[in-house]
Amino acid sequence: MKKIFKFIIYSFIIVVIWWAIKLFSGTPDFILPSPDVVIRSMIDNYYLLFSNALITLYEIIVGFILGTLLGLTTGIQLFISKNSRKLLLPFILLSQAIPIFALAPILTLWLGYGIWSKVIMTMLIIYFPITISFYEGLKRIDPMIVNLISTMGAGKLSSLFKVRIPFALPQLASGLKLAAAFAPIGAVIGEWVGASKGLGYLMLYASGRVQIDLMFSAIIILGFFTISLYSFVNIIMDKLTKWDHKSHI
Amino acid sequence: MKNNHLISVEGSLSIKDKNLLNNFLLRINKGTWTTILGQSGVGKSTLLKLIAGLDIPGKFKGNINIKNINKRTFSWMAQDDLLLPWMNIIRNVCLGQILRNEELDYLKAEKLLQKVDLKNFSTHLPATLSVGMRQRVALARTLMEETEIVLMDEPFSSLDYTTRSYIQNLSKKLLKDKTVIMVTHDPTEALILSNRLLLIENKKLTELKLPNSNPIRSINQNDFSKFYEKTIKKLQQAYTAS
Repeated sequence: MKKIFKFIIYSFIIVVIWWAIKLFSGTPDFILPSPDVVIRSMIDNYYLLFSNALITLYEIIVGFILGTLLGLTTGIQLFISKNSRKLLLPFILLSQAIPIFALAPILTLWLGYGIWSKVIMTMLIIYFPITISFYEGLKRIDPMIVNLISTMGAGKLSSLFKVRIPFALPQLASGLKLAAAFAPIGAVIGEWVGASKGLGYLMLYASGRVQIDLMFSAIIILGFFTISLYSFVNIIMDKLTKWDHKSHI
Repeated sequence: MKNNHLISVEGSLSIKDKNLLNNFLLRINKGTWTTILGQSGVGKSTLLKLIAGLDIPGKFKGNINIKNINKRTFSWMAQDDLLLPWMNIIRNVCLGQILRNEELDYLKAEKLLQKVDLKNFSTHLPATLSVGMRQRVALARTLMEETEIVLMDEPFSSLDYTTRSYIQNLSKKLLKDKTVIMVTHDPTEALILSNRLLLIENKKLTELKLPNSNPIRSINQNDFSKFYEKTIKKLQQAYTAS
């Protein structure tokens, strides 16, 4: 409840600042529409916004789930196999060295204008923070605990799932929170490069027709998605790491 | 010729071309509390890991002979309690069973918690307990394993004087049937608890004399200060020599 109240207060402050800038600068509506114009546009175009938002949301969620699963699997693979570290780490780094904007047209060419090029882009953008944070988390265990569980006769799988993975959760939480903030970027970039649906597409469409109020509406919805996804991840990871006091300072 | 010792280790131990122990011989009888004393970095903890068959940061050339050794021969107690922070106290006591996918014996764990005076804390998380209480949980976890040999790596060094004395007494009482090997740099606790005292000196293990009385010894007993001074002197000599 406290967090929702905070969210409302912050949103209110942003709207007040926005209104003040608009009022005192005298910027015309086609450059900076006032909040009431944007709200009216959201009401007028609710179906257009809703149908496109649903597609972007779908791309974000599928991309986030698949990217997380892939990141977790790779993190474990990197941890358990030295050969995997040698083979995979350069490719993982390379995936980050190439800007996602450069990959977007290629992925669209290969996977078409449908949702999968956007899902893959979302996956690519979140893969790195999740993989690296999880891998680093798995490594950071007190060596004395390793001694303890070894003398207890713990098997490799048992020590991985019952000790190492829980210890890695606070570090993974950082990666997942970054991923939650990045995931919508991947989907929108994909839609900018080639799509006929989605909020990214709608932004380009609105921009081409100087419908700045519609563009702002799409941005606000996208921002809402990002905050919601981030909050969801935050709540889940807070619950899973409530034993870790350093995570809750 | 076969020996009758429970543990017999002989050989040389080195880390990165630096010899820690040269042609040493360590023999330990069943049911004794053996303390290995030495300055930091002389290889005490490495020796303990070597006996437990754990990964060591260096090389060992020689033989290790432990009678009836299996996966469940050793239990480990360290300076930190090493409790898993997301598990409540009773599950921490049952950690070995959890890791081996065995059926959890909560009844036994409760009894052990009672023995370490933590009867009413089984559902607490470790973070809610004091350092001394946590170390008592670690002791209960060690006892839960029912292993023949208990390896202790400076288990009392993070405790304040009063708590340390209480837990030392409790450990000695509860581990009376076990074979304990403890490493420490504290001569007082070595003299209080040990049946045998070994010093790492000049890359060798030297046996030091202990008072005739049986542990637990009191620091107030007549000859304690005499043995304490002798042990300190030996420690200082070992330090100067290294």
